[in-house]
Amino acid sequence: MNTSAVPDPEKPKRDYAMFDADLSGAVLNMHLLGRLLQWLKPYTPALILSSVLVLIASTLQVLLPIIISLVAIDHILRGEADPDTPDFGLIELTNWLTDSLGWPPLLVACLLYGIIQITWAFTGHAHRMTLIGAVINGLRDLRHDLFSHLETRPSSFYDRVAVGRIMTRVTNDVEALYELLRGLGTLIGEFVPFFVALGVMLAIDAQLTVILLLALPLLAAITYYFRRTTRTLFRQVRQTLSSLNQNMQENLAGLQVVQISDRQDYNLDRYTKINEENRHYELRSARVETLYGAFNDSLAHTAIGVIIWYGASQVATAEMTLGEVVLFTQFIGMLFHPVVVLGEQTNILFRAMASGERIFQAIDWDEAIHEPTAPVALPRRLRGEVRFESLNFSYDEDIPVLKDVTFTISPGEKLAIVGPTGSGKSTLIRLLGRFYDFSDNQIFLDSIDLNHIHSHDLRRRVGVVLQDFHIFSGTIYDNISLGNKSITLDVAVRAAKTVNAHQFISSLPKGYDTPLTERGQNLSQGQRQLLAFARVLAADPEILVLDEATASIDTETELLIQEALRQLTQGRTSILIAHRLQTIQEADRVLVLDHGKIVELGTHEELLAAEGLYSTLHQLQFQDSSVSE
Amino acid sequence: MLRSLWRLRGFILPYRVKLISGIVAFGLARFFEALVPFLTAVGINRMTDGNFDVADIVGGITGAVICRYIVVTYARFAVRQVGLTVAFDLRQSLYASLQDQGAQFFSEHTIGDMMTRAVADITLIQRLISFGTILLVILVYATLFGFAFMLYFDPFLTLLILPPMPIVFWYARHSWRQMGIASVQVQDRLSDLGAHVQENLSGIRTIQAMVQEENEIKRFSLTNQQYADAFYEQGRINSAMSAWMPSLAAVCSITILGYGGYQVLHGHMPVGNFVAFFLYVNMVVQPFRVAGMIVNLFQRAAVASNRLHEVMDLEPEITDQPSGSTPPFISGDISIKGLSYRYPKSETLVLDHIDLHVQPGETIAIMGRVGAGKSTLLKQIVRLLNPEPGQIKIDQHDVLDYPLAQLRSQVALVPQDPFLFGEPLRDNLTYDDPNRALDAIWDAAMSADLKNTIEEFPEQLETLVGERGVTLSGGQKQRATLARGLIRHAPVLLLDDCFSAVDTETEEHILSELKRLRARDTTMLVSHRVSTARHADRIIVLEEGSIIEEGTHQQLLNSGGYYAELERVQREGAEEEDLAGARHTFSHTEKERG
Repeated sequence: MNTSAVPDPEKPKRDYAMFDADLSGAVLNMHLLGRLLQWLKPYTPALILSSVLVLIASTLQVLLPIIISLVAIDHILRGEADPDTPDFGLIELTNWLTDSLGWPPLLVACLLYGIIQITWAFTGHAHRMTLIGAVINGLRDLRHDLFSHLETRPSSFYDRVAVGRIMTRVTNDVEALYELLRGLGTLIGEFVPFFVALGVMLAIDAQLTVILLLALPLLAAITYYFRRTTRTLFRQVRQTLSSLNQNMQENLAGLQVVQISDRQDYNLDRYTKINEENRHYELRSARVETLYGAFNDSLAHTAIGVIIWYGASQVATAEMTLGEVVLFTQFIGMLFHPVVVLGEQTNILFRAMASGERIFQAIDWDEAIHEPTAPVALPRRLRGEVRFESLNFSYDEDIPVLKDVTFTISPGEKLAIVGPTGSGKSTLIRLLGRFYDFSDNQIFLDSIDLNHIHSHDLRRRVGVVLQDFHIFSGTIYDNISLGNKSITLDVAVRAAKTVNAHQFISSLPKGYDTPLTERGQNLSQGQRQLLAFARVLAADPEILVLDEATASIDTETELLIQEALRQLTQGRTSILIAHRLQTIQEADRVLVLDHGKIVELGTHEELLAAEGLYSTLHQLQFQDSSVSE
Repeated sequence: MLRSLWRLRGFILPYRVKLISGIVAFGLARFFEALVPFLTAVGINRMTDGNFDVADIVGGITGAVICRYIVVTYARFAVRQVGLTVAFDLRQSLYASLQDQGAQFFSEHTIGDMMTRAVADITLIQRLISFGTILLVILVYATLFGFAFMLYFDPFLTLLILPPMPIVFWYARHSWRQMGIASVQVQDRLSDLGAHVQENLSGIRTIQAMVQEENEIKRFSLTNQQYADAFYEQGRINSAMSAWMPSLAAVCSITILGYGGYQVLHGHMPVGNFVAFFLYVNMVVQPFRVAGMIVNLFQRAAVASNRLHEVMDLEPEITDQPSGSTPPFISGDISIKGLSYRYPKSETLVLDHIDLHVQPGETIAIMGRVGAGKSTLLKQIVRLLNPEPGQIKIDQHDVLDYPLAQLRSQVALVPQDPFLFGEPLRDNLTYDDPNRALDAIWDAAMSADLKNTIEEFPEQLETLVGERGVTLSGGQKQRATLARGLIRHAPVLLLDDCFSAVDTETEEHILSELKRLRARDTTMLVSHRVSTARHADRIIVLEEGSIIEEGTHQQLLNSGGYYAELERVQREGAEEEDLAGARHTFSHTEKERG
């Protein structure tokens, strides 16, 4: 027999603080990007199509200015087009169309402009839609996988991490990844035209192109500096803003306490301080942003000056045509814009990296309940005997929660567990549903070691009613049947009648079809408890485990619940963590736990007579007035 | 809409000089910007005329660029500064007025609603000032200067490119509307998704206990897909706009290409002017594209302004109007005469002619069903809800005549909801007076049976509680709020059912401590437990706002009313015959509540 409380040595010690820590991956993490792309793999054809489309669109985008400068100005208006300048065959096409349609060349140019414009616009649209479609689907899959993973993490995980934190991983963090992937798409859409335009410019005048390119490092440096400054500033703005909101939210939530403590002025001062801090950072980032924002346009305008100054001398010596000078001014935007966009995207990139880390941390979190390699198949009907043999258990290695617990519950017996807070009552019933790992040969169901039963099989046979009832979205009937086809409406109604729930359910406007929200706001505490009873009764488990709610419910509802409980435990092995005298008195035996040990076990009367811990607890909680008078 | 925005004048007027100077500077900036295409045109024209000396043109462009940079930087900053400062002032006002609101206000408004106003509505107004002004000014100036220069170059061509403008404006507006709807959809679906995950994970133990994981994953797929669909739709509208907008603007370019080119070909227009038209068209079309957004900004800010003023214009529910003749120290004699109270928008009286006189040093227990008026009674004594004049007197003076701060510090209420701030325990215990001595803190903690709990924490009194710190159990929270009340050593202590999550043993211990320490002070406590009430000097039972029983434990037992019945039930549990009656009342009361 295993009597040691030493947990499985293979069980890795987990640092849950890590999970809640603020990860801020400030580096471009290629590994992470690679993993992320795994989820896009199923959509490879769409991504390839999208890439082809962006190449076509970018080329078309470059053709538009060429029609105005090279075709219209140089060829049609001035008749001095340079045959060496790459015009993508547009001049030849214009001539051919002029001849075959018999239109004036200008009209042909207008026609070409219109056609290319429309084709460009809708090729671009098609490119964006294929890309977005693939990315959205990929991330939907990622979210699905993440959720499925989280849904199957064990209780030990949820004991330690905040649900809010996990939630933001499924929502905000995945959203940040979308920004990342869309950002990469945007960059492609900017840089492809950049290179096409660059090629044309180099072919026209390499020297002027190089002069203009000299501005790029300057723009890049300033953009880099700007982004670095604002990254810090934006973070400070966000932080102060969130503490501002947090302060207000908390103040409102505790306003009654604020008012009875006369703290309004003091709290307003504290709020003002944060508000001032926020304004300080907001103003600073506004200052930096305005200085930078106007700089970009100015650089482009300055470049126009340079082109005219340099172009004039080239045109004078017939090195360049007038149309080519105009073309340069039109390409300026395509040359500078990608750098600006790159700057915009870096912040998103950094934030998305941190989000990616958080998501993969959650997906990689492999904590799980140990399942048997060859699970024992349970018989159709269990007898319902539960045996604990020298059960030792601890959540943390140092603090034992249950010590040498040995007892047997016979089939159909009703056992009440009582004990002070922290005595290990809840742990005992949690182990019975195998929500935590424990060593072999300590708990037996019909003489089968619990660890040899798959947790799903086990939980179908052990009906657990916890203190906080979880209502699932759906109708009342859905909440009773929980998707089990064998629980028909008739079965559900019968169960509800047995536990006194039928009356309130049928008084609802839609009866059993009344939709419930997850928190069950439309039900009272008492109603929710009765509904939970109906649910467990309909499932008809061989073992019932119940943690009695302590919430104050008025005495009349209390009576209904007691009566329902009597029906529920009828002929069923039941383990009840009891808080009410009534429940205890109706149990066959009472087990008293204290500091993880069984201190007493017997009937209510026996234990009262023994004058031990139970009798003390009983005295305090359920004093009989005539005795103390 | 304008009237709603006009309500903001008080917040904007102090910064009018800055705002106007910014708007004027924008005009200058636009003028300098419009000079660049003009000078470009002049330069190109010169080249076509065979004059290649363009030094003055280049100098002009450089000058215009520098001037524009300086002016536009000033203008943008000035306007954004005004927006940010107004947002700052609005936040201050909102915070201050919210702090003066009471139970009545919060029964009609949720905290979430207030937070939306504080966050989203203020941001909308800030955006209207910071960006809406800029956009509007740009729209006006760009159109003004762009068309002025074009008219100067060629009036007829200028008229020719006008027709597409209204279409651009209309389409932009239409798209903005669609995008607005789509982004609300995306936000809604995202919060559905968040809520789904949050609710689901909160109930994860039940889900796993009921082996519902797979069903839940299936259900999640649905929510997940809906979000993806909304997201795709938003992307589609955005992308379509990116395709249509330049195509509509291209109609202008084609007009210039055709008509302008024709004029150039026949020598009626210099090439430079032809090129300049293309540049000006961009300058003019852009504002029409964002015009839809401007309308949207104004509309949303108008709604936001109304929502903010709805709160900021409210009078404080409870006003502090001390008469000056009240004693500086309360001895604890509370006299309640004909006290009635009706919650706003409710038909029934929650308190109905209550008469009660509490002697200094007396302990009164108040019992009764949920909704019997117990909490309302206590709240009225400290004026969290205002009684009518003369209904509640302390030491023969109307509670309305006491300074609020004095009343609430000498009559200490421990509320039903054990609320703790996300701060260290020490700050929570000394919430009313952060400068309290350490001894006083430990004394209060001791009386509330919290000392051992605190000593178990490694950081003791500095332990951070709440979401970001240690999560306390319900009982620990209640004992902490109790300590926060006890630390004041108030002559009157009001305990509003603040032991419900404390186990009976601990409660007994705390109450006997209190009895010893506060032997000469007044205490009123609300409870559901007979074991708690039995120790009081007097017990009153409330039902539907009236006192139905009053007396000592023994007297009430002997009289055989509600209290005696409650005692029996809590002692013995229910008997079969009670059940039928309970069933009836249960479905009855639940229906009323629903």
